Amino acid sequence: MRRLLPGLAAVALVACEGRQSVTGGDGLHSGQFNSLFLIFLLVTAFFYLLVIAFLVAAVVRRRGRAEDRPEKSGGEGGFRLILIGWVALVALGLTGLTAASYFSDAAAGGARPANAIRIAVTANQWWWDVRYLDPVPANTIRTANELHLPVGVPVHIQLKSNDVIHSFWVPNLAGKQDLIPGRITDITLIPRKEGLYRGQCAEFCGLQHAHMALDVTVEPMETFEAWRRSQLRPAPPPATPLAVTGYNYIMTQECSACHNISGTPASGQVAPDLTHIASRRSIGAGTFPMSRGHLYAWIADPQSAKPGNHMPYVGLEPHELHGVVAYLETLK
Amino acid sequence: MARTAAGNSRTLPWLRLATAAAFLFAPTAAGSQARAVPAASASPPDDGQWVMPAKNYASTRYSALSQINRQNVTKLKPVVNVATGHKRGHEAAPLVVGSTMYIVTPFPNNVFALDLTKPGAPVKWAFKPRPRRAAQGVACCDIVNRGAAYANGRIFFNTLDGQTIALDAATGKEVWRTLLGNINKGETITMAPLVADGKVLVGNSGGEFGVRGWLTALDAGSGRIVWKAYSTGPDKDVLIGPAFKPFYPMDQGKDLGVKSWPPDQWKIGGGTVWGWISYDPKLKMVYYGTGNPGPWNPEQRPGDNKWTTGIFARDIATGQARWFYQSSPHDLYDHDDINESILLDMPVNGRVRPVLVRPGRNGFMYVIDRVTGQVYSADPYGFINSAKGVDLRTGRLIPVKEKEPKMGRVIRNICPAAPGAKDWNPSAFSPRTGLLYVPHINLCMDMGTMEANYIAGTPYIGADVKMYAGPGGHRGVFTAWDPVRRRKAFEIKEDLPLWSGALATAGDLVFYGTMDGWLKAIDAASGKLLWRIRLASGIIGQPVSYRGPDGRQYIAVMSGVGGWAGAIVSAGLDPRDPTAALGFVNAVRDLPGRTKAEGRLYVFALPRR
Amino acid sequence: MSSHFRAVSAALIAMVALPSCDRETRENRGKPLPESVPGIVGDPRAAEYEGNAFHIAQGQRYYVWMNCNGCHAHGGGGMGPPLMDAEWRYGGSMEQIVDTIREGRPNGMPSFDQKLSEQQMWQLAAFVRTLSAQPRQDALPGRADEMSNIEPRTLDERRPVERTSPAADQARPR
Repeated sequence: MRRLLPGLAAVALVACEGRQSVTGGDGLHSGQFNSLFLIFLLVTAFFYLLVIAFLVAAVVRRRGRAEDRPEKSGGEGGFRLILIGWVALVALGLTGLTAASYFSDAAAGGARPANAIRIAVTANQWWWDVRYLDPVPANTIRTANELHLPVGVPVHIQLKSNDVIHSFWVPNLAGKQDLIPGRITDITLIPRKEGLYRGQCAEFCGLQHAHMALDVTVEPMETFEAWRRSQLRPAPPPATPLAVTGYNYIMTQECSACHNISGTPASGQVAPDLTHIASRRSIGAGTFPMSRGHLYAWIADPQSAKPGNHMPYVGLEPHELHGVVAYLETLK
Repeated sequence: MARTAAGNSRTLPWLRLATAAAFLFAPTAAGSQARAVPAASASPPDDGQWVMPAKNYASTRYSALSQINRQNVTKLKPVVNVATGHKRGHEAAPLVVGSTMYIVTPFPNNVFALDLTKPGAPVKWAFKPRPRRAAQGVACCDIVNRGAAYANGRIFFNTLDGQTIALDAATGKEVWRTLLGNINKGETITMAPLVADGKVLVGNSGGEFGVRGWLTALDAGSGRIVWKAYSTGPDKDVLIGPAFKPFYPMDQGKDLGVKSWPPDQWKIGGGTVWGWISYDPKLKMVYYGTGNPGPWNPEQRPGDNKWTTGIFARDIATGQARWFYQSSPHDLYDHDDINESILLDMPVNGRVRPVLVRPGRNGFMYVIDRVTGQVYSADPYGFINSAKGVDLRTGRLIPVKEKEPKMGRVIRNICPAAPGAKDWNPSAFSPRTGLLYVPHINLCMDMGTMEANYIAGTPYIGADVKMYAGPGGHRGVFTAWDPVRRRKAFEIKEDLPLWSGALATAGDLVFYGTMDGWLKAIDAASGKLLWRIRLASGIIGQPVSYRGPDGRQYIAVMSGVGGWAGAIVSAGLDPRDPTAALGFVNAVRDLPGRTKAEGRLYVFALPRR
Repeated sequence: MSSHFRAVSAALIAMVALPSCDRETRENRGKPLPESVPGIVGDPRAAEYEGNAFHIAQGQRYYVWMNCNGCHAHGGGGMGPPLMDAEWRYGGSMEQIVDTIREGRPNGMPSFDQKLSEQQMWQLAAFVRTLSAQPRQDALPGRADEMSNIEPRTLDERRPVERTSPAADQARPR
């Protein structure tokens, strides 16, 4: 038992890791879930301790009076009173728990607040297509595998799926919500604490279900607005000769058949939008962190990094690879 | 208001007078002029020729010749029956200038001049433009051509691979050739150009390929571009300036061609101009409609998607837009608005106003003021369950929420289907009866949408469609519509969809053709079938009528099934897949058994006495 | 441990272990074979891709993503010729279909040489052949997500591939 203790402690401590933690409580709804969990824990712990206490008392009393015959203690009426009291206590406890759970769920699934930011997330195998909606269609933003949210502002996310069932889960902020093909579901988040969080697909969706993460950044309103404005800008033209080589490759070869880069002829719709790829925190929905080396690794051979994903192994020549990475790095 | 029939009519003069008088003194609704008349400046007196597919700038497709009439039409016989040498859809209208007939074939768009003075109309000259073969792969709806236009001794026509060519009408020599379209982006040209005010007006095709639509004016003498008006994008590309005064608030604003699209989508937005153009010489304005936005899947392009599926009125000299009306904002069903606009002067609410009447693709018959763009009425002329009507106060189409396409789902029983209540095939107006003769269709569809990917030169659609007959089970309808009374005068149900044009004549006859090859002549007043003849192949072309060199009246039409509706025959498609040909195959699975792919020119006349 | 127990446990282990042998192998990156030359007969990649359920499923996905269904519908044709019948203008073997996709064809089939990797083209060819019931039925994609009311493709009868152009007669019949 002693030898296992550090292991158990390690297991327990993992749950306390900040970025993807159910106990984070950094959003309104995850905070509510934490409170609910606490209520359940306390109520059930109370009953558990009561039951243990009765058990211990029964064992001790029986042992202590083994030689004396136990008298009928309290009589029939007293025993019935205790029984009724116990049942009432349990009923009260269960009702309380049910009510707490109901109200917590109802709050989480509540109607969309009027001032909410509206986002549409479409899940594909194995990446998240994120669109920020706007009454003026020209101000919609399209990005992939990331969410930027202002702190304290409700966010309403409409969830769709293009292929199989996925599940949207940012544990620090809220619970899970499935994305089901052919249906539209939704979830409301209200982040309360700034920070970087990690979301995850929570419904097995195929070979690379494990590599379908979502980078969530909760930031002050001004930073969020600045991010939004930068996302509306089209891609800058390539500046260096190497970037020009990469640009030409992307526009004429396989990349533009699937990817979109605003402001260029590449208008493919079925793969993540690359217009601001260099500003993201990860590549391949969390497969790699964003860096030059990882960009090289991903583009050179996406199938080794994330086998079975839908970006094919293209087999670029070295100079083409240099050019493509040089150009993509400018897409901030 | 009685019109004297032009040409050497052999009918008794008193009968003609009586007939004219009967129409003149027919009971009317209100006002002294109770009937619609074609705009005078746009419809000069008939000279017996047919110099543009629409007959005149008002697009009446009406011949004032009356030698062939209701009594003798049964004697009509074919006098010319020649093969064009091509077996795809023949949508063109034959032109007749003097004693020469000009026809344009489907791809490879050969032009033939036929000598009408000799029996059998032998070929005087032939011109082969040799367009690029790869253009066939980016033509959505068969490799058709809707005809040429004649002006000032020249023949103007377009080729599938995006060129406009001017030929000397007498010799067939090429005068100039201008390349306007890029087939690598999926851009083709199938429409018949309009020549007016010294300019050749050409529009592109390719709304199914994410092609940005435009209307270009070329100088008729040199072929150089005078102006080019796009259908999407910033105001300076769309030629929207201070003269632009749209009637409805939904069409007012700056750079709406960018703002009403998600970023960059307007560049692959569609709005192609592949249909008909009308021209008012008095107001010096051209009227035309823009095609569908791309892709068909509407969820990829939230917003009104200006300036697609709407009608533009432009100043012909500069191309500057004067007004615009969007018939289907945020189009959901590929309801291109490219149908013909017939320019009429008719009483509306007691006063005679200059209007254009157009059978809209979305099933509403629009009466729109030519000067201001105000919609006076929009009445359904087909069965519609996808829209509740048009709100005349705001001008907006009122959609039905349950029929809106949703990705990942199939929405069933949407009426009218993607080709609408009427597609490109033009109607004709008879000033004698005051009726608009509309050959159209009765189809509904199931539509399943999915995400469309944009790859230049490949289709940008995102929808699976399956069409079938609408309520009643008949797939085609021929309607005679009274624009003043705003209702049908009569209706003829046809088994197959009607994809041919209509022709009205002063002999009180209306001609149209069916997809299984029947050319029919009906009574213009009652709709009674008076004569019909079975041709070698289905008819999707536009019938015309002219006075031949010998002074007699002739009826000419091309026969060759195809187009979007007939692709199952002309392209040999497989009927087992209901989504083939963008869903049309399911609606006409029986067509291969009823007609064959052929290409012919027919001319009919009465036997000589 | 008794011999009975050993026998039973051996049988159980075999029962669990054997089905885990792969029904098929999946090459995520494609075997590095030399590029196929147009018209070459018996390219070994044809066998690797033709009856492989994963490759056919990927081909089904790319068929929609590359807009093949825009011109060819779901086999019935439209702007392009039908793919579900027995008539093949440029040949219906795997190698010939890959060649068509890569080079394009004169009357309007675009060239996808610069848009697709070799492996993707083979996957597409494998799927295209299923439209006319050519390969094994057990490798067919499980579910087609398009709207249709035709019989399931697993019930299709195989139609022999006809070659209608002399140039297409280079590959041996399959």
